[in-house]
Amino acid sequence: MISRRTFLRVGLALSAGLFLERRDLAVAGAFPQFYITQVRYRGGQWDPNPQFTDAIVEELELRTSVSASKERRTITLTEPDLFSCPFLYMAGKYEFDPWTSQEREALKRYLTFGGFLLAEDAMGIRGFGFDAAFRREMKQVFPTHEMQKLPPDHSVFQSFYLVNTIGGRQKINAYLEGVVIDNWTPVIYSQNDLSGAWSRDRFGKWLNECAPGGEAQRLAAFKLGVNIIVYSLTSDYKKDLVHHPFIKRRQNL
Amino acid sequence: MSTTHLMARLSLAPIVPLWLLIILLAAGLAIAFMQYRVIRKRLGRRKALILSLLRLGTFSLIILFALNISLTSKKEHRTPPAIAILLDTSQSMGLPAKDGNESRLDEARQILLGGPLGGPKPLLTSLAETYDVRLYALSESLRELEEKELPALKPGGKGGTINDALKKLAGQVSLAIVLSDGTTRLNSSSPGLTDTSLPKDLPVLTIPVGDADTYRDIVISAVKAPQVAFRGRELTIDATITSRGYKNVTIPVLLKDGSKLVTAKSVHFNMSSESVVVSFSFVPDENGTHMMSVSSPPQVGESITSNNSISLPMRVVRDKTRVLLVSGNPSPNYRFMRMALKNDPSVDLLSFVILRTPSNVINVPLQEQSLIPFPVDTLFSTELKAFDLVIFDNLPFHVYLNQKHLEAIREFVRSGGAFALIGGPNMADGGRIASAPLGEVLPVGLSQEEDYSRGSPSGVRLTSAGAVHPLTRLLPDKMLNLRLWNEMPSLDGLNLLKVKGSGTALLESAVSPAHPVLTVGSYGKGRVLTLATDFSWKWDAGMVARGEDNWAYLRFIERTVRWLTKDPGLDPITMVLPDRSEEGQDAEIKVRIGEDVNGPYGPSGLPGSARTREPILFSVFSPQGVKLPSQVKASGAPGEYTGSFHPERAGMYRVRVETRTGSLEESLIIGGRMEAFDAAPDHELLRSISAATGGKVLSASENVLKEIAPFVASAKKGFVEEREVPLWSLPYALALVVAFLAIEWYLRRRWGLA
Repeated sequence: MISRRTFLRVGLALSAGLFLERRDLAVAGAFPQFYITQVRYRGGQWDPNPQFTDAIVEELELRTSVSASKERRTITLTEPDLFSCPFLYMAGKYEFDPWTSQEREALKRYLTFGGFLLAEDAMGIRGFGFDAAFRREMKQVFPTHEMQKLPPDHSVFQSFYLVNTIGGRQKINAYLEGVVIDNWTPVIYSQNDLSGAWSRDRFGKWLNECAPGGEAQRLAAFKLGVNIIVYSLTSDYKKDLVHHPFIKRRQNL
Repeated sequence: MSTTHLMARLSLAPIVPLWLLIILLAAGLAIAFMQYRVIRKRLGRRKALILSLLRLGTFSLIILFALNISLTSKKEHRTPPAIAILLDTSQSMGLPAKDGNESRLDEARQILLGGPLGGPKPLLTSLAETYDVRLYALSESLRELEEKELPALKPGGKGGTINDALKKLAGQVSLAIVLSDGTTRLNSSSPGLTDTSLPKDLPVLTIPVGDADTYRDIVISAVKAPQVAFRGRELTIDATITSRGYKNVTIPVLLKDGSKLVTAKSVHFNMSSESVVVSFSFVPDENGTHMMSVSSPPQVGESITSNNSISLPMRVVRDKTRVLLVSGNPSPNYRFMRMALKNDPSVDLLSFVILRTPSNVINVPLQEQSLIPFPVDTLFSTELKAFDLVIFDNLPFHVYLNQKHLEAIREFVRSGGAFALIGGPNMADGGRIASAPLGEVLPVGLSQEEDYSRGSPSGVRLTSAGAVHPLTRLLPDKMLNLRLWNEMPSLDGLNLLKVKGSGTALLESAVSPAHPVLTVGSYGKGRVLTLATDFSWKWDAGMVARGEDNWAYLRFIERTVRWLTKDPGLDPITMVLPDRSEEGQDAEIKVRIGEDVNGPYGPSGLPGSARTREPILFSVFSPQGVKLPSQVKASGAPGEYTGSFHPERAGMYRVRVETRTGSLEESLIIGGRMEAFDAAPDHELLRSISAATGGKVLSASENVLKEIAPFVASAKKGFVEEREVPLWSLPYALALVVAFLAIEWYLRRRWGLA
């Protein structure tokens, strides 16, 4: 029989655990094969959805063979461990401070030599706040490669699911944008706040409503999230000729 | 030989100037006269004159010696003309001849030895009585013969180059008599009879043997085919078929790949002596060395049937290296490897990534999935041979491949394909790999139960073999290359393996205990490699993080593919096979081991004279797979060897060279001795040779002695023997001087002079 003292002690400990802030691990020596690394930057708000990783990584591991870690890591652009990150994530609501030339150069090198960045405007207002700042920085990083809308047959829409709806917490754009270099899209940009749709609390409750599409829109956000991650790990694999007839046939079903 | 004496003559060669001799002679005369005047009063005129003349005589003789008088005598010697008899002893001379002779050589022998021909004695004996006869056998080279060797002479070897033989004899003999069937060749540098291909001053009389009218044969004279063909691309092989004695016939000509018929065509001959070119077009569909052959079935009455086919090796390769990459799951390792392979224009990549395992739950209908079924049966049964390299990247193979597929991979490697196993938690498939057919192929085994370790970053270092191996030689400078690998970014996950006897570790972990990271080996004709990490992508990203380029990773992947697929440019072992080898003749293979292996700091690590040579193993296997006796020896230059063996029969032989750093196997086609051999008597060639040299064609029924005479009449030669005797050196000259002095001395004493 449990004593009242023990009951209270356990109950307090559990409550404390629920409300304790989750500690984000700094990038260290030993990495799992896949994990999400979020960029910290000056100004604005670099972490609008701090609890987005669990749900998307669970979804990823449930649906795909990707071996992933739920640990979210954070990094600044000038840290050398940037280049060990398989998947870089960057989000925000507000305008942030201009990057230094070292930061721009580091990000350019990371992305040019095989790195991947998913960037998200959690506010979703074109030409304002995070969107304006991010577009400004991308012009500096890739002056000869403008951000462009990704066509519906882009590999990111076929990497796992055949995606034709762009989900998210909000529905600002019906498309994704990206920086395309040859056959590789190292930067994918969304204004629909995908991570807002993925965020949930420790009890498994969604933190944000998805509007206007509701849960279907959330499901679409998860499918797109899985596709983006699989794309980041397989590149334009689905453009190989062997996949073509299958994908065409299924799209016509 | 006769001798004639010619007139002798004197010659002077004064040892001092002539004017000095005249002065000396005048002085002698003056002294003699003075002496005469002095002694005349005491002895009287007569005695004084005798003594003075004796003194003058002695003095004059000494002066004459100074004139160096020589007597030259001449004798003329005359020799009988030399004639050369060239007897063709090539293999065609062993074929049946006319007039009941067993062979053409017998027919020729009969002409020389067998009885009266233009006289009461055998031709050779009659010739030897009048001429200086020199007998030669003409086969692959010109060999002087003794007459007694003639009866036992056997035909053999290829026909020599007759014009080279005649050029050798020019100037030595006045006439050449050639007994041949005319199948002798002309020098390859002189494709036809030209002004310069035969000597001008040597008339050649030819006596044709063999019967061109009754000879019947079908010859595959020549086959023109590329030595290297591309798989999947049409190619054409041209074959020249020659008919001898068959008129208005149609014969089939077959093109075979080993024993498999590729295609066949019919050839019609309108004339009894005709050559027809047949073109075969086909598409090779399998990589490797193929023994192609063009043949025609034997015809009724054929003199030779072994020249009805020609075999030739053909290496079928791809224009691009086709790589099949199967990855167990999407990962950075796959992404970077894919990018590197796609970056290489010489690679045609087909990759499959297992996006979903059986334990994953799919939540959408089929039309919303992009997943395609993994065509495992197609890939690992019918299509496997279409690839040059198969890579498994962290693949739990037992989930997708059955025993039959794994055995197919083993056979793929055994027959020359390449296989690479890339590490990760699923690499060993829970230990199953050790007992699977793949375990037999791999150069590594599991070192312990826990076969994968993650979380203890480790650098890598080159092993002694890795320091010289072309795969890990990313920089030409050895020390810089060593430093490059030492400074490569650490790997966060390693498979804990151990090297098997057949494997060579090139990279090992830098932390203790060291485990092999990159291991290479061979299995059958193929090559295998294991990279015991799923973090090699950090060699790309980590270098970029340091502000450098990712060239090292790209070059590593490129060299991995090239080495596994035996790119000759990267191979530490090079074999140069002979252009053509025939049964019964020694075949020589040049072997070159890359200079790095035997370089100044070879595998032993010992510099200069202390270094040891890389031991090499040279093996040859017959078409039936039996290992044959063979030799290999160093041929002087470092790393260069010559291997040889004696093939008894025609066919495709396997030649294998093994060194500590790798192995290489090539196929060598040994051709039949009679391939492309046209033994039809070519009396027209003999006629042309005679005409070009001012000679004549003789038939066996003609009086050969009588026919020879006009050609050698003006050719009688001799020489003049000239002898020169210096008179002063004769003993008589000395005796004469002494006699003069002695008489003078005697008379002086007698006549009372001191």
